[in-house]
Amino acid sequence: MNHVGKIIGKPILRKDAPGKVAGEARYVDDLALPGMIYGKVLRSPHPHARVRSIDASRALKHPGVLAVLTAQDIPGANSIGAIIKDQPILCGDVVRFAGDAVAVVAAETERAAEEAMAQVVVNYEVLPAVMDPLKAMEPGAPSVHPAGNIGTHFKARRGDVQAALRDAAVVLERRFFTQRIEHAYMEPEGAVAAVDPQGGITIWSSTQYPHRDREEVSRMLGLPQSRVRVHQMTTGGGFGGKLTPHAQCCAALIAWKTGRPAKVKYQRDESIIASHKRHPYVMDLKLGATKEGKLLAIEATLVGDTGAYLYEGRAVITKSVTHVTGPYYIPSVKADGYAVFTHTVPCGAMRGYGIPQIAFALESLMDELATRVGLDPIEVRMRNALDTTLPTATGQVLHASVPFKEMLQRTKRAADSFKPLLAKAPKGKRRGIGVGCSTRSIGSIRKSSRSTAIVTLSPDGSVTIACGHVDLGQGSDIMMAQVAAEVLGVDVDRIQLLTNDTAVAPDCESTSASRVTYLSGNAVRLAAEKVRRQVLELAGRDLGCDPEDLRLVDGVVAYRERGITLADLFNRHVYHEITAVADFMPETEPLDPETGQGSAAGTYSFSTHAALVDVDEGTGQVQVLRYAAVCDVGRLINPITVEGQVRGGVMMGIGYALTEEVKVNGGVSNPSFATYLVPTSFDVPEEISVEIVEDPEPTGPFGAKGFAEGTLDPVGAAVANAVSAAIGVRVVRLPMTSERVHALLHEPSS
Amino acid sequence: MNQRRNVRVNINGAVHDVPAVTNETLADFLRYRLGMVGTKKGCETGDCGACTVIMNGKAVNSCLVLAVEADGANVTTIEGIGSAGRLHPLQQAFIDHGAVQCGFCSPGMIVAAKSLLDDEPEAAAEDIRLAIAGNLCRCADYVAIAKAIAAAGKVLRAGK
Ligand code: FES
Ligand code: FES
Repeated sequence: MNHVGKIIGKPILRKDAPGKVAGEARYVDDLALPGMIYGKVLRSPHPHARVRSIDASRALKHPGVLAVLTAQDIPGANSIGAIIKDQPILCGDVVRFAGDAVAVVAAETERAAEEAMAQVVVNYEVLPAVMDPLKAMEPGAPSVHPAGNIGTHFKARRGDVQAALRDAAVVLERRFFTQRIEHAYMEPEGAVAAVDPQGGITIWSSTQYPHRDREEVSRMLGLPQSRVRVHQMTTGGGFGGKLTPHAQCCAALIAWKTGRPAKVKYQRDESIIASHKRHPYVMDLKLGATKEGKLLAIEATLVGDTGAYLYEGRAVITKSVTHVTGPYYIPSVKADGYAVFTHTVPCGAMRGYGIPQIAFALESLMDELATRVGLDPIEVRMRNALDTTLPTATGQVLHASVPFKEMLQRTKRAADSFKPLLAKAPKGKRRGIGVGCSTRSIGSIRKSSRSTAIVTLSPDGSVTIACGHVDLGQGSDIMMAQVAAEVLGVDVDRIQLLTNDTAVAPDCESTSASRVTYLSGNAVRLAAEKVRRQVLELAGRDLGCDPEDLRLVDGVVAYRERGITLADLFNRHVYHEITAVADFMPETEPLDPETGQGSAAGTYSFSTHAALVDVDEGTGQVQVLRYAAVCDVGRLINPITVEGQVRGGVMMGIGYALTEEVKVNGGVSNPSFATYLVPTSFDVPEEISVEIVEDPEPTGPFGAKGFAEGTLDPVGAAVANAVSAAIGVRVVRLPMTSERVHALLHEPSS
Repeated sequence: MNQRRNVRVNINGAVHDVPAVTNETLADFLRYRLGMVGTKKGCETGDCGACTVIMNGKAVNSCLVLAVEADGANVTTIEGIGSAGRLHPLQQAFIDHGAVQCGFCSPGMIVAAKSLLDDEPEAAAEDIRLAIAGNLCRCADYVAIAKAIAAAGKVLRAGK
């Protein structure tokens, strides 16, 4: 490759930013179509009930109301869900959580729709509900679905755990709890839908996966996917939460039934009440080790509350179980993960996807192990660290790009730099340092994934990339542009991304699972290389030389002092443009259903973090003072976007650690930003230092791999370890709210 | 309810005289009556700051102000601060410091920062933290945002 390093690794500014800071970027609620009407979703107030009847007669008489649509109005499939489609779009028969949708009201104005919604009379027969996952597993518990309350059971088995635990010098055992949290993207869900004159339908959507929106709408309407077109509008955050297009389906149904363009957008409270959450877990872990701190065995039971529907619960639980050993080698493994149904708000994908939970539990025990065997927390991790010879929990040996030990050393330096500050805690504060580590497979782990890119070079040297991985603000567009620019020897300003329209961009699966750089970055690289090869071959023929000796720079193919412009070259060979398509699919093998063993992913990314915290003795309030994140990106493509991702992920992790918890009392009882507390400018540390480690992944584009979720995965663990160190009591439950920490300080047995 | 009244308001230097429903918020008035959709709505309960505008020299959550209360007022929205083609130093600083990701919070955040720097061109780190305490961002981080604001303050002072 001639140009490696010219563009890769450079802090190139993203192109979407000027429009965003000027208020000119268009999000879905900024869109108004002529004749557009509005839909409001009527939701169940009961966690579990039979819908006996729905009487819309009064609502229909309300001025401006056009339709009240229920399950009976859905022409095709009445089910939705990211992986498993088990949630009715509109419940016709039974509601399974307080927030389940039963009807959608369409009216000329939002206000009329809202007023009319209050006049729809639903006759419910309230049924017994089960709200706790452990109770839901007991015999005789009310059933959420006919097949029982265990939605999935995923296992990992290796070696003889019982024997290893029996022989272990040290055995640690604890139960840990994590909470349900909300994505809290600043832009609530929304969509606009319009029927086109040829009988298809177009959706404008706030989404992480336009092709999924297309699939779900086409199933619901019984339309071929080719007749559904989805435009992703600028999307105000996703974090895993915009993968189930419920608002999109409601807007499409209204447009379909009334013939009018329709907008459905959620209010903030509705978004928190009805959208899926991060799975809360109850985790029982048992860890066996030698007296030198070498891990021998882990036994784990993980119960994830998936709420009323499973859609991603199976995959989330699988992710936790396959990562149960974290970034360590543990010879014997026995892990059982359950996704359990309850009559609560469903849980699904959220940045981290099953890792933050297990990282919190495992890293807490690693710290306890360090104390028990008298080692520094970093040292005990070092003794068990994965490298390129040792297998992960699924038995996969990662042959390259495992810089975990180097990262631990860097984190040790960061933690050491915090140490002089320990003695400087002001009166009334207790200060502590904690570390947290994690690893994660890049891309989905239950099934293979594929990304496809179409790269087109025009005679003027400009390039388009069609690839359906949408940018949610994390900067994937500029990453893909940099990859193509590097290969094709053009400036990134000459590159246009086409990601956000299902009519032009191929389906690349969702923007999730930290997969975009690794999968789509590779697909773009491969397609761009094909284009480059074709151009150089044509030019080689014309110039009478070996294509290998040619360079492609700024729209000119150069050979020694001679050159030929792309315009001339294309003209001579009657090309209007040169297009190539390429796919990338990492090599994986499916996991064995009995043992969970297999090579689950093309590559893994590691994280090592350190936190310095203060705990207020009077109030129990925790403040993170300093934070150091060491990140493993394979190879850095763009330092600005990477650092932005890291800091944002750490901030979100601090919310998970300290304040955020969706509370359920029947339905969600804290559906506002006044009661659901995301971090503000006062909650973040003064400095979040970011260190990037580059250990190229041979199968990644220019050595790069994904890392987005790793920025958040170990934050809860690092902060919990710091708090535990500060107060001298092991924290076993997130979030570490002031009340809880206060209680631990003053009645440690609580 | 639902009475209409004329609202005469100076927005970004131009006077608008438009009827509004009496219980309509200023945020909705800007967005849906005037089509000035740069001002965002993230909660409509005064808890996120996405809808921040400057009204008579003060940063306010426009979702908590009624349009009729803005009668006679001077209002600055994100559209009045700069455009993508002619960025204000604050907007440029947000880009340069990586303080924008999904961008949904950015208009409100920048308006809040503008209001601060208008009042206190020398705003210190603590003033900045306070000024944006009511503006939530879920993607980027407040450290980058605060640095961007401080850097813009410097540029603005140097330009005076
Ligand atoms: S929309 Fe006004 S504060 Fe959130
Ligand atoms: S950039 Fe997304 S909320 Fe701030």
